[in-house]
Amino acid sequence: MEAVVPKLASFNLLNPKSKSKSAIRRFSSALCVSSSPSVTSTDSVSLGHITRPDFPILHQEVYGSKKLVYLDNAATSQKPIAVLKALQNYYEAYNSNVHRGIHFLSAKATDEYELARKKVAAFINASDSGEIVFTKNATEAINLVAYSWGLSNLKSGDEVILTVAEHHSAIVPWQLVAQKTGANLKFLNLNDDESPDLDKLKEMLSRKTKLVVIHHISNMLGRSGEPYGSYLSQSKSGFVLGASILPIEEIVHWSHDVGAKVLVDACQSVPHMVVDVQGLDADFLVASSHKMCGPTGIGFLFGKSDLLSAMPPFLGGGEMISDVFLDHSTFADPPSRFEAGTPAIGEAIGLGAAIDYLSTIGMQKIHAYEMELAKYLYENLLSIPNIRIYGPKPSEHVQRAALCSFNVENIHPTDIATLLDQQYGVAIRSGHHCAQPLHRYLGVNASARASLHFYNTKEDVDEFIHALNETVSFFNVFK
Amino acid sequence: MSLKLSSTLNTSRRSFSPPLFFSNVKRTPISNIRIPRNRSVKSFTCVHERNPEPIATTSTKLQLLVSEFDSLTEPIDRVKRLLDYAAVLPGLDESGRVQAKKVAGCATQVWLEVVMDERGRMRFRADSDSEISKGFCSCLIMVLDGAEPEEVLGFKTEDLTEMNVGVGVSHVGIKAGASRVNTWQNVLLAMQKRTRCLVMKREGKVFAGCNCFN
Repeated sequence: MEAVVPKLASFNLLNPKSKSKSAIRRFSSALCVSSSPSVTSTDSVSLGHITRPDFPILHQEVYGSKKLVYLDNAATSQKPIAVLKALQNYYEAYNSNVHRGIHFLSAKATDEYELARKKVAAFINASDSGEIVFTKNATEAINLVAYSWGLSNLKSGDEVILTVAEHHSAIVPWQLVAQKTGANLKFLNLNDDESPDLDKLKEMLSRKTKLVVIHHISNMLGRSGEPYGSYLSQSKSGFVLGASILPIEEIVHWSHDVGAKVLVDACQSVPHMVVDVQGLDADFLVASSHKMCGPTGIGFLFGKSDLLSAMPPFLGGGEMISDVFLDHSTFADPPSRFEAGTPAIGEAIGLGAAIDYLSTIGMQKIHAYEMELAKYLYENLLSIPNIRIYGPKPSEHVQRAALCSFNVENIHPTDIATLLDQQYGVAIRSGHHCAQPLHRYLGVNASARASLHFYNTKEDVDEFIHALNETVSFFNVFK
Repeated sequence: MSLKLSSTLNTSRRSFSPPLFFSNVKRTPISNIRIPRNRSVKSFTCVHERNPEPIATTSTKLQLLVSEFDSLTEPIDRVKRLLDYAAVLPGLDESGRVQAKKVAGCATQVWLEVVMDERGRMRFRADSDSEISKGFCSCLIMVLDGAEPEEVLGFKTEDLTEMNVGVGVSHVGIKAGASRVNTWQNVLLAMQKRTRCLVMKREGKVFAGCNCFN
């Protein structure tokens, strides 16, 4: 039997005060994983096949006759029926403003909202749900750290280290705050494997470094590592790799040694693998709900309790105050201090339902399946003539996440994506993927990207590769 | 279980009739297409530029273009037609593919050159690193090259969505919206902005945000 994360197995996901059985609503599909969490995948019935019925949006034809093949999961994930029903149930049964209401609906909404916070905390193994701040998304969470922690902790001459592969949302807020504070941004380049050069990172770290901002899995390069436990291995650079994708534990260790904090962008890791903030010892970690089968409009910041307690407010308004006078106000403790105004209540509850769904499958199972898909995707993409796939090659020590950014010589990626969409119903992304510095570093203007999730199948990859082959032939003929 | 995948794509370059406007013209600049003055035109013939027929109106050219694309029901055929238009676009040389001539907001790189000729009409040249974007530019230029400034400025993106082709447009004709990858809109807006700039320059005025170039 597959083991779920022990903390979740003992976690009571049902509100004991709830009189409604809607929280225990069964999934509508007979093949739904939640009714049989111990189902193991075989070659003929993969996790993708088992879970696909839970995602209504995947079962459609686009342009009238083309079966949708959705391979743009790094941009946003699809939502299972359980999440859709949680949202609908919230608005049908108990929608009410949270925290200060006196009546029945308000109490229930508050309970469910705070229960969602607990679910997020358990999902990433935070020690206390007070370390989880709900935001609009990961971008807002990074801005929160930048404007709250950054403005009060950075001064002229201080350094913030990022990599050239960071998402715009992890770069731009620090540019804005660096301008205000006089701090300097330093960028870590990639090594020959097209991974951040960790040898160089050690050289860059110094007593001037106050913060390291780093992704867990790149949305373009896709570098991954061994998925389970405390596996340790020597990389060819001589450094010890941890269990994480980028070796966040090591990076945090080196950073703390010089007195620097670490902010981890976990947008592409939380949806796909076990993430343990205590194990990583990250100071801050951000993720977005919409990439992990939850609704848009909600994300979260994890921050260590002592850090959050010392941070001034980010946005001001209702909910985050204690007392308000005409000339000044006092503020609530975290996390409320950082949640101004009416929150995205339904969306937070929807995120909680997404976490329930993912946890029932098991993140280790999801990760293992996606590693299979990743290998299948990469190997098949290599068969396309004149293709260039970005990021490290898979090896004994380096596994790739289930995404590939690529270019085909002499054909613009947008042309490829357009034809894949219009002729074949295959949805991939083309552009800079919110990583213009990375594209500039790699010397390209744009790339195409196919990114998978656990509800994709090998057949999806087969259809993509077939369509891509024909598309490449088509454009080569026209040139 | 192996998946049988049949090819749905005819990669033959000339498996369909060439673009309407170019059927009888060999590499003639597209602005020299003449159409009889009678606006209720149902058919036309392309004539050599030495024949002093009046130039077709922008509106007529657009209608012909729309009807041409309307006749192609499969998205792939519309894309193929765009690629044919791309093939006849003269493009720009290296000196033209510069930052100052770049159209902002496109997912691909598009360069646009806008000048006003000696008769006060707008002349356009464009290029792109994407064949489909080149096709878009070719169509836009075909309709608007040689037009009066007022015609260029009065042109609306809604006029283009009738062609029902390109990124973000569904088979059933949902209008391409404010997506960042809407090349039509971005190129047209750039044409209009630079046209406005040249008009004001001609009148001795300064247009805020103007970045005029030749």
